[in-house]
Order: sequence, then structure tokens, then C-alpha cells
Amino acid sequence: MEGLKQALSGVVGDANVFDDPAVLESYAADQSFVLPIRPKAVVRPGSEDEVQALVVWANQTGTPLVPVSSGAPHFYGDTVPSAPGAVMVDLSRMNRVLKIDVRDRMAVIEPGVTYEQLRPALAAEGLMLVSPLAPRADKSVVASLLERQPTLVPRMNYALPEPLRNMGVVWGDGTRFSTGESGNSVLDIDAQWNAGRRLTDPKGPAQTDFFRLLTGAQGTLGIVTWASVRVQLIPGAKKTMFVTTDTLDDLVDLSYRLTRLRVGDELLIVNGTYLAALVAADGAEAVALRASLPAWTLIIGIAGRALRPEQRVAVAEQDIAAEVAARGLKLQNAVPGVAKSRIEAALEGVAPEPHWKLRAKGAVADIFFHTVLENAPGYLATMVDAAVAHKYPVADVGVYLQPQHQGVSYHMEFSLPYAADDKADAARTRALYSDASTRLMAEGAYFSRPYGEWADPVYNRDAAAKDALRTVKAILDPNNILNPSKLCF
Amino acid sequence: MALEDFKADALRCTRCSYCKWIPFDLVKSHDYAKGCPSVDYNKFHSYSAGGRLITMLSLMQGRSEVDDDVVDIAFKCQLCGNCDVACKVCRYDMEPLAGIKEFRRTLNEQGKVPAAFPKLIGNLRSAGNFAGLPQAARRGWTEGLGLKELAPGGAAAGAAAPVLFHAGCRYSFDPTLRSKVQAAAKVLTAGGLDFAVDPAEACCTGKAYDMGYRDDFAAGAKANLEKWAAAGVKTVVTPCATCFWTFKRLYPEVAAAAGLEVPEILHTTQMADRLLKAGALRPARRVSLSVTYHDPCHLGRQGEDYEAWDGKEVKIYGQAVVYDPPRPRYNGAGGVYDAPRDVLKAIPGIELIEMERSREAAWCCGAGGNVREAYPEFNAWTAGVRVEEAKSTGAEALVSACSGCEKNFAEAVAAAAAEGAPAGDLKIYDVLELLEQSL
Amino acid sequence: MPISDEAYAALEAIVGKENVSRNPAVMDSYAFQWLAELVRPELSHFMPRPVAVVMPGSTEEVQAIVKLANKYKIKVKPHSTGWYHWAAPMYDDKDTMQLDMRRMNKIEIDEKNGIAIVEPYVIHAQLHAEAIKRGWTCNIIGAGCSCSVVAAACAYMGMGPGAYYMGGHAENVLGMEWITPAGEIVRSGSLGSGDGWFNSEGPGPSVRGVIRGALGQRGGLGVFTRCAIKLVHWSGRTDWPVTGTIPAYRLPVDETQRAYTLAAPDWDRWADLYYKIYDNELGFIFHRQFNLAGADLAPAFWLMYTDPTKKLSDVPAMVADPEIAELTEEMRISFQIVLSGRSVADIELQDQILDDVLAETGCWKVERFCDKDMAEFTNVYLQRLGHKHINFVWVGGYIGSWMQIGTPDWVKGYIPTAQAGLARDAKDGLLVQCGGDAMMGPGSSYPGGGGVGLEQFVSYDPNDEASTRAGIKHMEDAITDALSIGYPPGKEAMYLEMGHSDDRTFKKWAAAKQPFTFIFQRKIKEHYDPNDIGDRMYNYIPEEYEPAK
Repeated sequence: MEGLKQALSGVVGDANVFDDPAVLESYAADQSFVLPIRPKAVVRPGSEDEVQALVVWANQTGTPLVPVSSGAPHFYGDTVPSAPGAVMVDLSRMNRVLKIDVRDRMAVIEPGVTYEQLRPALAAEGLMLVSPLAPRADKSVVASLLERQPTLVPRMNYALPEPLRNMGVVWGDGTRFSTGESGNSVLDIDAQWNAGRRLTDPKGPAQTDFFRLLTGAQGTLGIVTWASVRVQLIPGAKKTMFVTTDTLDDLVDLSYRLTRLRVGDELLIVNGTYLAALVAADGAEAVALRASLPAWTLIIGIAGRALRPEQRVAVAEQDIAAEVAARGLKLQNAVPGVAKSRIEAALEGVAPEPHWKLRAKGAVADIFFHTVLENAPGYLATMVDAAVAHKYPVADVGVYLQPQHQGVSYHMEFSLPYAADDKADAARTRALYSDASTRLMAEGAYFSRPYGEWADPVYNRDAAAKDALRTVKAILDPNNILNPSKLCF
Repeated sequence: MALEDFKADALRCTRCSYCKWIPFDLVKSHDYAKGCPSVDYNKFHSYSAGGRLITMLSLMQGRSEVDDDVVDIAFKCQLCGNCDVACKVCRYDMEPLAGIKEFRRTLNEQGKVPAAFPKLIGNLRSAGNFAGLPQAARRGWTEGLGLKELAPGGAAAGAAAPVLFHAGCRYSFDPTLRSKVQAAAKVLTAGGLDFAVDPAEACCTGKAYDMGYRDDFAAGAKANLEKWAAAGVKTVVTPCATCFWTFKRLYPEVAAAAGLEVPEILHTTQMADRLLKAGALRPARRVSLSVTYHDPCHLGRQGEDYEAWDGKEVKIYGQAVVYDPPRPRYNGAGGVYDAPRDVLKAIPGIELIEMERSREAAWCCGAGGNVREAYPEFNAWTAGVRVEEAKSTGAEALVSACSGCEKNFAEAVAAAAAEGAPAGDLKIYDVLELLEQSL
Repeated sequence: MPISDEAYAALEAIVGKENVSRNPAVMDSYAFQWLAELVRPELSHFMPRPVAVVMPGSTEEVQAIVKLANKYKIKVKPHSTGWYHWAAPMYDDKDTMQLDMRRMNKIEIDEKNGIAIVEPYVIHAQLHAEAIKRGWTCNIIGAGCSCSVVAAACAYMGMGPGAYYMGGHAENVLGMEWITPAGEIVRSGSLGSGDGWFNSEGPGPSVRGVIRGALGQRGGLGVFTRCAIKLVHWSGRTDWPVTGTIPAYRLPVDETQRAYTLAAPDWDRWADLYYKIYDNELGFIFHRQFNLAGADLAPAFWLMYTDPTKKLSDVPAMVADPEIAELTEEMRISFQIVLSGRSVADIELQDQILDDVLAETGCWKVERFCDKDMAEFTNVYLQRLGHKHINFVWVGGYIGSWMQIGTPDWVKGYIPTAQAGLARDAKDGLLVQCGGDAMMGPGSSYPGGGGVGLEQFVSYDPNDEASTRAGIKHMEDAITDALSIGYPPGKEAMYLEMGHSDDRTFKKWAAAKQPFTFIFQRKIKEHYDPNDIGDRMYNYIPEEYEPAK
């Protein structure tokens, strides 16, 4: 062990190597049902050079490396080692905001940069980043984008990986590279920046979208050392509005229409349980709140940027109101039973501790996938059916629908809170999680981010994808040292 | 002209394939975007206008030789001219249709023609018409109409005939088309037009031109021009779009060479339109029918006025190609589109519904370029596509203004009926047939 | 070497006799390609002739052909509409069969979800027409609506004048169906899982990452047989009421849309205007289009073009017209933009904001080109892109040089050099002297802004050897010019590369700033194309060319 520590210290310095059992334990498990495995060390590299040296060392010694950037809690098992003897590569120390360019609206950040850190840094320049729903404060921006977490503004989600553009990466074989337009030039971000490149085009180089290979990879192919992201102007005027209904079906047509018109910024659908969890201070309040909240709420953020922002908001509101009214619905300024400011805080800020998904019962199992919107009510029925079959309280099922890719694809999420310390509840929830996932998958729900136990059935359905990804893995990480045994590797 | 005269066109072709489609701005659907029956049926690029120019270049450069496939490439095409229109949306220096015709002429001179051609041209040479029917049978359609006749020998032998009605071979000989040509004559009569028919009417020989038999064409054209001159014919009016085009676009060169004048050439729809607008025809009887109008290639996009040109290519701005004097630009802009439509609109009760491919973008009936005679299956397929398109408009009837189109459509509708296809109940009319019903 | 009778008979058995040919004249109509004369020995207009042309009618037939090609060691080069020398066989000494995909031409539109599923021979004009009927529209690539959607979406770059708002095909392509060179089927995203066409990413790392990239494989690695593409809301009339006389049709500008030509006094303010357009989220189609005719001639050219009584030979007199001369200066640095609103109120507000932006930047609307008539022409031109072959209008030969894509400030940096280069190379009259710059390109080649590109339109006469050679020299000069000011070579380098030997090309790629991509792609090729039936349009370097680590 000392030899290990010495070797790692030689790369990242003594202060950045951890083997205290308590520390190791904190990386051994997360909120998911993934089997806990304790790593043998944690390192916190401070630079690209150190990351590369770690990867070279790992190849030489056959040591699994598991990259992680965000702080706890983790939810999906992707940062829990699947193999013993792993070294966690905690990138939280690489947390510099490297570049911000207002005119070109681009920023370059390291993987340890969190939402809590980036928001004010951008805001100081009049900029913002389109973000996921209520990220925890220490959630890594880069990790969130790499995991293709859904983001809140569908019209700006030109492609699912948006706003991720270029990345610096150390592949599993130790090679350093930069993706997208950056890959066509020297491996020196400053040199590129100084030459006027702003790392805006994510594609390529050549016939490979390396950035797409890195998304959804759970750290299995390379370790990202920086990323450029497209940022937006902070709106000069904003307004949040709501449409509430008794059924999800009642919102389907409207959501199709609004995403199609690309009106508004944030656009999402939540059920009462999910909304309650999002805004409640604790579990008790969440339970109380969900009883008074509408069954379904469509949340619409309307924003005006640059010139005449108030007029932009006013016209957008007018257009939205017409669409809402045409469907016999009502555009509301507030959701009855909850202060508007609390919802707006969830849309715009980082979430306070403890994590809002854990407040209800202390643990949560999320089932999420992609679908076209018209199939969502059917999947909801399947989920309810499964919950009933497993005697899981249907009222506890949180539902979140986030239009992505300008409305073509929807992230659909069922959030199943449970009491981790109640073995029966945990077992029931786990059984429901597995059963519902299987049923949804069979019905055509696309599990595009196959975490944990989803991986095998997903890749069994798509042998060509498995073959393709294994081929890529063999090229980029021939010794399988990066987060081995994840996905189909 | 010679193949070499189109070498520059071939070298300046960019294989963009515009020639395969109707002008893109006019496309309204997936199904009716295609403009070239030849490449749509035969599929290989060689069967497009660009492909033919390339084939010509390949032959000129000695890269390939004339074989059966090359003959097929040259002749399995209606010469409908969609390619010419589509190409010229963006180009001023290309003449693809003229190039294809030169390709045919060149092969013809080498004796390389489709199997059907020798018999057809033999018929023209022996019987004076491509059908090989006795000349005496021409007059059948005039029976009972009491029409004036051009005296044998022309003006010297009889009364002057300032307006000559030229029925055309198909209208004259084909009993299934008889009612249409008769209707045309009745309409003109009803409009008070003083006209005569020629009992010795001769073939226009336009088809010979397209087959590559240029001498046969020129001889026929010269004979007609001489006869008309002798008879003092000032205006020729014809219900056949192909005759119309032959007289209007091909005769002027022959006339110029022979020192003759080409009379005013009008299609019957144009003459009827004049009579309507002059108040000489007053359609009063209601004809309750929804119709769609098919623009014959030779009346529509190829029905533009002839412009004499004898010039050369010059360059401006270093390399940009223009012509001195400016070269006529036949791109379909000046075709005869409105006269037939105006006639239809003048008929009480007629509802005119346009097909997606109309005017300069009309899909060919299939008969042109001697395809009807040389490639009957391709001909029938092309007509079948058009009657389906006509049917898709919801119209009850498909109306046209050309003997070849009307014959082809009648057969295509019968074929559709035999197959139980929707187009099987489509009615086929000539524009003047409907006008005549309304008088 | 001619294809063997045995192999040919096997092809006939797959697709039917009528769908395969080995006739030299027929195959020459595939070997002939635009740009060939710039890269082929003796300025030949013919790329290498294929040994056969095959027209598959289904995914299964494509698979069977590809497997046959592996058996007989014949390369496969697919094309859809087949425009560019890239689409042709690359090697004189390696047998290649050309796949002409024209029999696969079906289209299906999922109106609810705004998705079109297309086969390779569906062109953009068809997709656009079917979309418009249903209240949708689509990005049409810069090469124009004559091009295949599948080719552009899966196998080429897929950007266009509308990409700034609509997304380019790189962003909009959803499920893709790809036949690997070994004959296996790979389906990307949700399609691979059997869940439909709607999602292009995943499962896990996106499989599409290895089969498309920035440039597309351009027929170098397998065959795309279908794809789905995301559509965009259309606020205009669904009956597509085009009017007017050929060649310059008109599309009335809907009450929720506008079509403008805007101009700037200098390139700095041109860049400022682009940034403000991005920031204010203006623009539906955003393109520097009309300047392709050259800044000295463009106004006269377009006024000629839109008057059906005029001919190209009328341009010089029009250029000399004092009013047009004034207009030429007014719009020397100009571009076109189509705005689209959700509603009348929305478009009216956009109009106000555009006026604000113009005032702030000292730029203006070119009134003559914004009047009703020219606006309607601009509208049909940009909405349908059915006139892109005007690229060739001067003399039939055109090269796009430059076109490096980047931010407006970065692109602004190469304009003076590009202008000077054209003036220098055209001064002897061997290239069309259209004056100033003849640069055209998208307001942004990807959505949201930031990806401007300007392509210098250089016209040469393919029927004139000296002019053709001047075209080649211009391309070589443009590379030198770009490098001299610290820019990477542009589009011309990709054109020229087609004529270079493997050895020269592999050495060039091996010397890339980051050659990793080419090494990675060789390994991908080794997996998917073990018998090397593709070509280097899928870029790679053999192991022996790899730079030492």
C-alpha cells in the first residue's frame, strides 16, 4: 500500500493522495443499487500533466482508475468502482474557469468547476449557462454535460450534448487530445485562443465525433481535463408562468406546440410529487405540499435577452397565452399552494443541502429514459401499474418530463423515494426499479444513459452498438483501466 | 452543327442533376418533383440530359464506342425539354436539349437508330406520313363539316386561303381522335373564322427532325412552305402541338435557307382565345366538369417564338461566357400556357385545377421524341404517371391540346381502368372539345 | 480491370439485370464529375471509371452487394445524387463499383414529432416540399436542394444557410442506418435499440460518434441507407404559393416573415452586426448569398437575373448604369437574412430590434433589394435553395476557396487576404474578374451563432485549359495565402487532396498538429473494413506512416 501511495504521491503530491478508510468508504457506494466496492486510494490531480501521468502509471500497473468530478451524493453508480483495487481520480481540484469571452459567448472550464462556482463567474460578465434542474452546488458542470443530464431550455438544446463543445482529454492509453475544432490545431488551448479560435464547433475532427464518444461514457474512455461550453446572455427580463392540469395527457399537445414554436426558455412538466420534492424544505413539507399541488404542472420560463427584453417577454407571453387558451387551458402566474419564488429558485439556482431528492425519505431510485412525448402517458401508466403491483405508493412517484433537442426527444424520469434504512422499503423499491425498468424498456422507452443494471439489457438489444463501443474502447483504453466493467466494457 | 459543337456544353456540365427535376422552386411534393421521364424510367445517369452530354463527350474523346446501350441512351427520351428548362434556371451557356438532338442526328448518320425507325421513316418516304396510311384517308375527318378546301395547286389553282387549318397526321388518320379535331374546326367556324383545310395536307415532318433524319425533315418543310406560299397562306392554325412547334420553331431555318416566309403559326387554342376575347365566340352552355390541364411540351415550354441567331461565344470579365449577338434563351418563359387556360376559364361550369407539374414544369405525356413508336412500354409508363398525377388533383377530366398527348392519355386511362386503378375513370378531352360543348 | 463475369452475374442476381451496368459509356456518366479536371491527369473531366454501376433497391440489397464486394475484393463507392468529384471512384488501379442509390427514395414524415425518415435518393427539395405542406420546414444544405438528405445528414457536413436557427444536419440527424463495409447493419441511437428514430445519442457513448463526425465519410466507409432528420416549425403558408416567371420565381413573404438584404460600411461593423444578430436571436435563414456573383457585379447580375427579358450579356451595360453603380457600392459588404416570427406581433418586434441593431452598428437595409419584388425573390431563393447551381453561372467552372469556419472576428481576419488573392489570380483574365470579394457563406454553420464561413467563389472555364490551370493555381495559392497569415487551409485543400496520391496524403495527415484522429480512424477502419473496400474519404493513416511517439 505504501508503494502505491508513494507512486501516486509522486504524481500528484502527498497532499492529494488519500487512503483513509473513511474517505475510501465515501467513494465505495452511492445512492444507486450498484454493488459497493471500496477503492484502494483516492487522488486529486491538479493538472492535465498529472492526469496523464496517472493514466500512464495505471497502464503500467494495471490499476483501474475511476474518474469523478462532482461532490456527493452520486446517484447512478457510475463513479462507484466495478472492480476492486481501483484508484479514484477525483478531479475536483481542477476547478479553474480558464476562459470567458463575452463577445463570442464561450467559456472554458476544468472538470472540477461546479455550478455553484460557475454561475457567479459567468453572471459577473452578464452570462449564464443553460443548466439541469436544480443541480447540487458541487455538481461538476463538465460531468453533468458528459452524462447528458437534461437541461432546462429545450430551444437552446440544438443537440443533446449542448452546450458542451470542445474538450481536452487524456485517453485510456495515456494519449492527450482535444476534440472538435480544437482537434484540428495544436494541443495548446492558449495558443488556439490567442489565434482567435473560440472552440465553438464540437464536431470532429474528421469523421469522428469524439465529444459524442465521451458523453455517456461514464469515464470509461478518457478523462476530460477541460471543456468549452456555449453560454448565453443573462435575460434582461424574465417571467415564469404555469399551466396546471389533472392529467398528463392534457399537457401533451401544448408542450408539443410550445417546443415547436421555440417560445420561452425553461420548459418542463412535473407532477405534484416531483414539484413538491423540488421546493419543499423537508420530507414532511413535501408530503403536505403534494396534496395541495395540482396533479401536473407545465413550467414555462419566459426570457428576453439583449434589446427590448421586456417587449420580448410580453410578446412571448401573448403568444403562449394564445396557445394555452386554444387548448382550453389557463396560463397562470403561480401554482396554487407554492410560492413562485421557490420554483424560480429551483430553475435558476443551485439546490441547497440536503439534496432535494433525498429530503422525502433519505434515498431515491430514479428511472429515466428518452421518449417522444406522445408515448409518455403510456409509460406513466406502465410505471403506475408496476408501482401498484409492487405495493409502492403511487402518490410517492415523482414524474419529470424535460423536452430536449428542441422537443423531439423527452427525458422522462420517475423518481422513487424510499427509506434506505427500512430494508423492506428498500427491497420493494429495488424490485420495482428493476421490474419497471424492464417493462418500460420492453415497451420502447430508450434508456440512452444505461447506468448500472440497465447496461446489460440495453446492449443486449443493440449488439451493433456493443460491438462499436467495444471497438472504440479497445482503441482508446486498450488495457481497460478506465472505470472497467461499466456499460458494455 | 456537329457533336463537337456541344463539347463545351459537356465540359461545362457539372453533373448537378437539375435536369432530372422540375425547377426546384416549383416542387410541391415528393412524388411530383421529378421532371425527366427518361432518367426516372431508365435510372442510370446516362439517361439524363447531363448524362447524355457526358456520353457524347466520352464518344468524342474516344473513351467509349457506340453500341446498343448508347443508341438506347440517345433515343430513349421524349425530348420533352424539361431538362432544358431546369438547367437554364441557373445557366445561360448550356443547350442540353439541342445537344441531345445533335447526339441523335450524329448516330442516325451512322445508321445507329432504334429498330423501329427504319420502318417509320420508310412510311414517311413512301406514304407521306409516319403511319404509312394512304394519303386519301386524311380527308375523312372533314366529312360533313362543310369546310372550305385549299384548291389543289394552291392559290394559282383556286381561291386564296389566308388561314389554313392544318389538322396534322394523327388527328387526320386516327378515328379515336376524330371528334377532337372536328370540334376544333367547329369552334373556329362558330367563331366566324374564314379558313380552309388542305385536302392534300402533308406531314409537318417534325418527328423526322427529332429522329435525326434532317434531310427528310427539310424536304418536307420546304414542300409545305412552298405550298403555303403558293396558296397565299398567311396564317396556319393547327390543333396539334407538335405540328405547331415544328412550324414555329423548326420551319424558320428552312424558310430562311430557301428564301421563303413562314406564315403566322397559331395553335387552335390561341385562335379560339382570340375569338373569345374578340367576342366572336360566346360560350353559354354550362359544362359542369372539373378538369386539369396538361401542357403539351411542344405547345408549352417548347412553344416559344423562334429567334434567328447566328453568332459566336465571347468572353467578358475574363472568362464569363456570353454570345455575340446575344443568343436566344429558350427556357420556357415564353411558352403557350395561358391561351388554353383562358379558353377553359371562359367555359361556364368548368373548374380548372392545376396539377403540381404544370406550365414549364409539365411532365411529358410520354409520346414525344418518337418514344411512342420506338419504346412503347416506356411511353405507356410515362403516360401512366401523368394520368395518376391528373387523377390526384381530384379533377374528373384531363384536358390537353395535342393529338399525341390525348392519344397517349386515352390509352393510359384504359390501362388504368383495366387494372382497376383510380385513374381509370378519368375523362380525356381536347380544350376545344369542351369549348365546342359550351357553344 | 473489368469486373469478372462471375461477379457481375452475382450483382445481377442481387439487384436484377436492369439495375446494373458495366457498359463503358454508362459508367463514364458516373466517372465524369465536377472538379475532376482540377485534380486529374491532363485535366481530364473523368475520375477513375468504375467497373460497374449498381443500383440497390433496399437495405438488404446494399448488404448483399457489400458482402459481394468483399468476396471479390472490389471497392464500393456509394453516391446518392452524385455531385462532386468526391462521389466518384478514387483509384485508377483499384477496381471500384459505384453504388447509385436512386432506387431508394422513400420518405415518411412523423408530423406529430417533427421527424422525417428518408432514404438516400430523397433530395432536399422533396423533403422541404413535404414538410411545408405539413407546417414544417427543414435545413437545406448550402449545396442546395438538389442534394440528397441522407448524404448530407450522414455522410457530408450538412450545414446550410438555415443552420443558424434550424440546426445543421449534424445537429438534426436522429437515427441513422449504416451498412458497414463488411456488410453489417449499425443503427445509431434509439433506432439501434428498436425504440424509434427520435434520438441520435447513446446508448451510453454515442455510436454515431464513430460514423459521422464533422465531415462525414463521403462514401469512404460503408453505405448509409436511411436516416431520420429533425424538422423545424414553418410559420408561412403551407400551399407554397410560388409565382413568377422562370428563372427567378418569387415566394410572397408571409406576414410572419421578412426577407432582407443588409449591408455594412466595413468588415469591422459587419462582424459587430453578426454578433448583435446572434445576441438578439434574430434570423431564421442567415446567409451571405448574393455576393457569390462578386462584389463588383452582384447587384447588376441579380437585377439581370430577376428580369426574364434580360441575358447574361446585359450585365456589363447594367454595371455601367450610374444607379446600379451606386447600389454596387451600397451593398459591397452585404448579406441576406430571413426573419420568421411565431406571430405577427413577434415579427414586428423582431423588425424593431433589427432596426435598433442596424442603428447601433451603423449598418443598413439595402432598400432596392428589400423592396417587395426582390424580397420575394430572396425569400424563395433562401427558403428553397433551388438556385444553388448559379455558383456556375459565369462559365460552368467554380471553385470554393477559403471557407474556414469560425467566429466573425476570426473570419474577418482572412477576408483581406482572400480578396487580394482573387484579384491577383484573376488579373490575367484567366479567372472571372468579378471584383472585390466573391465571398459567400452562412451566418453560422451551426445553431446559435459563432460559426461563420466565407467561401470565395472563383470561376474558371472548364472548356479552356489555361483557365482551368489558373483555377488549380488559385487553389494552391489560397493554401499558401492562408498559411501565410496563420490560418489553416480552406476548402480548396480538400478539393485538391482528391487528386493526390495516398502516399502524399498519408504524409500530410501524419504531419497534422494532432494526428491522433487519423490513427484512431485507421483502427476503426481495420475493424469495419477489413478488406479495404472503402477509400480514404474516410481519413486514416496506415501504421507505417504514424509519427513516432
